[in-house]
Amino acid sequence: MADIVLDKLVKRFGKQTAVDRLSLEINDRQFIAILGPSGCGKTTTMNMISGLLKPDSGSVIFNGKVMNNIPPGKRGVGFMFQNYAVFTYLNVYDNIAFGLKIRKLPPDEIDREVREVARLLQIHHLLSMMASKLSINDMQKVALARSMITKPQIFLLDEPLSNLDAALRNVMRAELKKIQQELGQTTVYVTHDQVEAMSLADKIAVMNFAVLQQYDTPHNIYNHPKNLFVAHFIGSPTINFMNGVYKNGEFVLEDFNRGTISIGGGSRKNFDKQLKGENVVLGVRPEHMKIGERGGDAGNLRAEVVSFEPLGSKTIVYMHPDANPGVILKSTMDSDYKPKIGEVKSLSFEEKNLYLFDRESTDLVFRFGS
Amino acid sequence: MDQKLYKKVLKLLLIIVVTVLFFFPIYWIVTMAFKPFPEWTAAGGKIYWFPNHPTLDNFRAIFSQKLEMSPISGTAIRPIINSLVVSVIGTCIAMVVGIFAAYGISRYKAGGSLPFMLLQLRMFPPIAIIIPIMIMWAFLHMTDTWYGLSLIYGVVTLPFSVWLMKTFFDDIPHELDEAAIVDGCSNIGAFFKVVMPLAKGGIASTALFVFILNWSDFLIALILTDRKWTTIPVHISKLQSALVGALYGPKAALGLIALIPPVFFGILIQKYLVRGLTFGAIKK
Repeated sequence: MADIVLDKLVKRFGKQTAVDRLSLEINDRQFIAILGPSGCGKTTTMNMISGLLKPDSGSVIFNGKVMNNIPPGKRGVGFMFQNYAVFTYLNVYDNIAFGLKIRKLPPDEIDREVREVARLLQIHHLLSMMASKLSINDMQKVALARSMITKPQIFLLDEPLSNLDAALRNVMRAELKKIQQELGQTTVYVTHDQVEAMSLADKIAVMNFAVLQQYDTPHNIYNHPKNLFVAHFIGSPTINFMNGVYKNGEFVLEDFNRGTISIGGGSRKNFDKQLKGENVVLGVRPEHMKIGERGGDAGNLRAEVVSFEPLGSKTIVYMHPDANPGVILKSTMDSDYKPKIGEVKSLSFEEKNLYLFDRESTDLVFRFGS
Repeated sequence: MDQKLYKKVLKLLLIIVVTVLFFFPIYWIVTMAFKPFPEWTAAGGKIYWFPNHPTLDNFRAIFSQKLEMSPISGTAIRPIINSLVVSVIGTCIAMVVGIFAAYGISRYKAGGSLPFMLLQLRMFPPIAIIIPIMIMWAFLHMTDTWYGLSLIYGVVTLPFSVWLMKTFFDDIPHELDEAAIVDGCSNIGAFFKVVMPLAKGGIASTALFVFILNWSDFLIALILTDRKWTTIPVHISKLQSALVGALYGPKAALGLIALIPPVFFGILIQKYLVRGLTFGAIKK
């Protein structure tokens, strides 16, 4: 149906660059998520795909055809806005029929299409209701129906779930995925919620400060983050970072009194070559940071328990490393783990769960495990 | 409990004071319009709070030329028609230009610093610009014409219509027009199909406001009109008779008539004046 190629897109607003040389390839029927904090350029990217914004340079290509000068209405895209943009002065029927009426389809055909889409989304009993009286849940479905009815080859969803409460969000997430699989459109989904991106998308494009950081499958984004930003942005609770210096085959972690650890073994040669400076950051995900077990590959690191959050299925423990109370480390422990605040514990982690970043370039230099 | 009661009484008292303050002029005009000559004139040295012998003499006086109270300036029929014509046309000019300008400014940041300069125009005292305008108008043979007066009304009230409409358009989420554009509307199509229906309330209240400004103008009409196109406010100022001097009774009567169109218009669009009802378009 439709594949999308974004080729070195640039968009500036005044002096500010909103999107900087963004290149992405999205295959037909693929569901991709653009993920990033607010102001990272994800909505701007979306608006350039839809045609609402013209890129300052670069091109938007659908099926090999450059779309830069094609108006939004002729691009065959469906757009669902974060705030739904439902026309409250119309009833549900007229809202859904809007796109078809603009295209001047015969009334009986419009009627058939509207009812079909309404049935698919289970809002057929609401057709005569004024849109302003809808619950937020139904409003969202009306917005979805309105963007679906023109049978777009490309679906653009701008944070469609961010206004829903948590329970409903899970339901709608599953529903969206189902609908996308049934209809098979190429879908671009903008979100700042990593859970949505991880659970829905075939591939995730992580953006920050107008620049694409990484474009990969959810699995690779989590397990092979390209740099400090991606590693930090994905994962909850967030990854632990420990500043260190690499010298003579040994790491000295600055935040610990006895922070010298010896890791790397046979792979040392590899990162010897790749490291530009000696300043590094070691990353360990909270689920791999173990408390109370001596040994592991962590040497003799010690930290003081500051607080903990029993979440039912697990307990998150927050700690200061013994030489720097300004740093917080997190560890995900079993739910029956009950630490005492103020206690000093030893920390451990296994080498295979370590990420090695260059502190200057912030890039991932080495992943010890595969 | 006492504290609450005390607060309530104070609030009520304040409301009463403000209401009385605002409605007293209206009360005075209404009663004065129906007072016979001896009651509205100050000659007797006595104040009548209410017409003791209500009469329509004042209304007869402004519409006829025969009574002894008749003003030297002629009947009020022509000024009423004039006021309606120039105020309505002036309002139309300000609204049509204002709506498009405001939409351009609100959505496309059109005009750079021009919108603000437009507002600055209002910072001059009108008297400072009206003399040069009179000279211009005289050159263009536009003094004492309906189009001359309508045009200047449209221009003078334009900053109001632009800035009021801009705030209304700003309140309509731009996603709504964008949604329409993605659905296949042109930019102008989205404006008419989506933005205009939502801005109805704003348009109605802005139009009322601009109309009242035009309707109540005295200075511009005084300077730019002479005989044929004098408006109600100017005519009121001219209500004098050779016998009695200033005709306060007839002035009040004409003032009362002048109240009718804005009040009528206001009631007509009352449901739109409740702003905010129309702007629940989006869940934030």
